Amino acid sequence: MRLVASGAQDPMSGLDDNARFRSIVMPYIDDAYRLAHWLTGNRTDAEDVVQDASLRAFRAIREFAGGNARAWLLSIVRNTAYSWLRKNRPTTVLTVEDIEAVELANAKPGDPNNETPEAALIAKVDAGQLRAAIAGLPTPFRETLVLRDIEGLDYREIAEATDVPIGTVMSRLARARRRLIATLKEDR
Amino acid sequence: MTRPTSDDSSVLLVHAYLDGELDPANALGITQQMDTVPALAAEAERIKALQQLIRERLPREETPPGLRARIETSVGGLRRERPRPSWRALAASIALTAMVTGTSTWFMAGSQQPIVVADSLVSDHIRALMAPEPVDVVSSDRHTVKPWFNGRIPNSPRVVDLAKENFPLIGGRVDVLGQTPVSTLVYRHAKHLISLTAVPAEGGFKLDRSPRSINGYNVVHWVENGVSYWAISDLEAKELEDFAQLFRTSQNEL
Repeated sequence: MRLVASGAQDPMSGLDDNARFRSIVMPYIDDAYRLAHWLTGNRTDAEDVVQDASLRAFRAIREFAGGNARAWLLSIVRNTAYSWLRKNRPTTVLTVEDIEAVELANAKPGDPNNETPEAALIAKVDAGQLRAAIAGLPTPFRETLVLRDIEGLDYREIAEATDVPIGTVMSRLARARRRLIATLKEDR
Repeated sequence: MTRPTSDDSSVLLVHAYLDGELDPANALGITQQMDTVPALAAEAERIKALQQLIRERLPREETPPGLRARIETSVGGLRRERPRPSWRALAASIALTAMVTGTSTWFMAGSQQPIVVADSLVSDHIRALMAPEPVDVVSSDRHTVKPWFNGRIPNSPRVVDLAKENFPLIGGRVDVLGQTPVSTLVYRHAKHLISLTAVPAEGGFKLDRSPRSINGYNVVHWVENGVSYWAISDLEAKELEDFAQLFRTSQNEL
């Protein structure tokens, strides 16, 4: 079986799979690596995830129906990273239900600092604190925040990449940002 | 005044508004609410401050050098094009060299003691050199060698004829990594033998660090089509790399 021969017959593009891969996937390797790094937490694992995700993307290159190639690749990276985390670090993949239970248990009603203006405080946070605070978010919140505020995907793209309804994306994003702000305030 | 919870729909709308996700009607509605509800206005300020912080202060994680080349190599290996003197072939060649220089070893996960694949394969190579025959099936015919592996290991390996390039095929044998039987082809160059082992990359083998030569034997490693290849020989490193490059790009496949 010759991959190139089948690629040459594609009426849509006239490009072989390798050419498609180079134009669809290769421009976004930096973004893919950055997301993998945020999800796995270290360079070696991020590299493994990106290489594995690239192979998956290559095998699925014909399924890419146009649109946002970057979002398409990032969703493959995300799913690859999740498989990797489940296999290698099963304890870090908490369900949102687990997290919500912890949140309820830790809720402190009537925090008097809630309404103080925090924007000025937040602006003084340094890069290391910010990085650590994002890294410390539970995975479902972290990936939502990273896809939105670092990778710049829109809600619909995040919903597709993480396989949840848009409403869930919205609530995870709000929770992620609030947790992040709370952590950064504690650090001050 | 209590702070609205993060599940409060107006809070979610503030986030969505700042993310540019709202249509004009909803955007108008939430901006009016922000004007009258200080908690929502404060939420908006916090979000903006956070987004600005991430945008301006979070350093970009640098992509490791060589990652692109490794991806090009592993994906390029899935190609079955006739090699031609193009920038692509050149890039592949550079990528292969980069991999060799970067060096890596595969560990077998799942077993009690992680087995360093390269070490194990070098031992197999040395053992084979000392045996009466370095191969279990003696044949220079790839049409004989390839079927021989059927029934002995799950996937028979890619076998190519490199006789014209002065790397005649001698035969093949089954090596065992941990408890996994793997296929090893043996090629000859002048008086040197090359053991080329194909290890399924999927199925419990994890990439880690390692040397490019062990006990004086050179090791060239690459990944192609989900298979991890290990070439081991006392050939000069450069010649062994040439062999790897020929094997990867040869069209004389069964």
